[in-house]
Amino acid sequence: MDPAEAAFDVAACLERVRQRDQTAARQLVEHLYPLVIRIVRSHLPRRVSEEDLAQDIFLKMFTRLEQYQGNVPFAHWVSRIAVTTCIDQLRAQKRRPEFRWADLSETEAEVLDHVLADDREATPGDALAARELVHKLLGQLKPDDRMVLQLLDLEQKSIAEISALTGWNQTLVKVRAFRARRKLQKLFQDLQSKEKS
Amino acid sequence: MSPFDSRWQKLVALARQAPADPRDETAPLGFATRVVARAAGRPATTGWALLGHLAVRGLLVAAACGIAAVALNYSVLTSDQSVDYAVVDSVGDLLDFS
Repeated sequence: MDPAEAAFDVAACLERVRQRDQTAARQLVEHLYPLVIRIVRSHLPRRVSEEDLAQDIFLKMFTRLEQYQGNVPFAHWVSRIAVTTCIDQLRAQKRRPEFRWADLSETEAEVLDHVLADDREATPGDALAARELVHKLLGQLKPDDRMVLQLLDLEQKSIAEISALTGWNQTLVKVRAFRARRKLQKLFQDLQSKEKS
Repeated sequence: MSPFDSRWQKLVALARQAPADPRDETAPLGFATRVVARAAGRPATTGWALLGHLAVRGLLVAAACGIAAVALNYSVLTSDQSVDYAVVDSVGDLLDFS
């Protein structure tokens, strides 16, 4: 069990929440907020306030509380609600803006240039630009593809963990990751050809 | 690993080295109170409630199908069928001993 979860005594708090204890409900929200906001910030869709999205996740958590059987740690159950809510929000975004070389900052373009050319080792100072760049590239993919690559490559979660978080079976996770990488490759090639022309 | 995969892995490895998000992770003041107040006004979703919700949707779809079926066959339902019987009642003619 997560040490923070053990110290908080989630089970006792949940019991009080089920008995309509509002103080316990507030404590539960405050306890889970860091976990939820980290997920929200990693997968936040454009033009959506992180606080609004976090609120939606907590409201879903309370309305589905009767369905929680205790088979998995409560934090995992809430993480799954958070991830699926983020995917739903990403799907609701109708269109992704076109990705152009000109949209990149000078450092991002430099990092991408070096990665594509494979001509030098990046410096630690390039890390922030690389993170921004990865988010911009992933933002070009469909929500499910974006989610699977972010969890697998950026957050280094295992196939089993992604399966538990998203509800997709492990084969589907592998297939989605493979397809998403192929789409990303096409995106890289397009960027390269546009830059050359 | 293909050249693209190795470049992509190099890029994400570099991205992972970026410092952690420095933003505060504690709930904003009043956030928990607001969420709990809103949640109190919402009904809980149980398995039976979900089943009921789906049943209502199923009923609406069935009703729509029924209305569409009546609308499509309206001309048949309102036509005078006695004429058709009169035309095809050859057996009745044969057995007419009057």
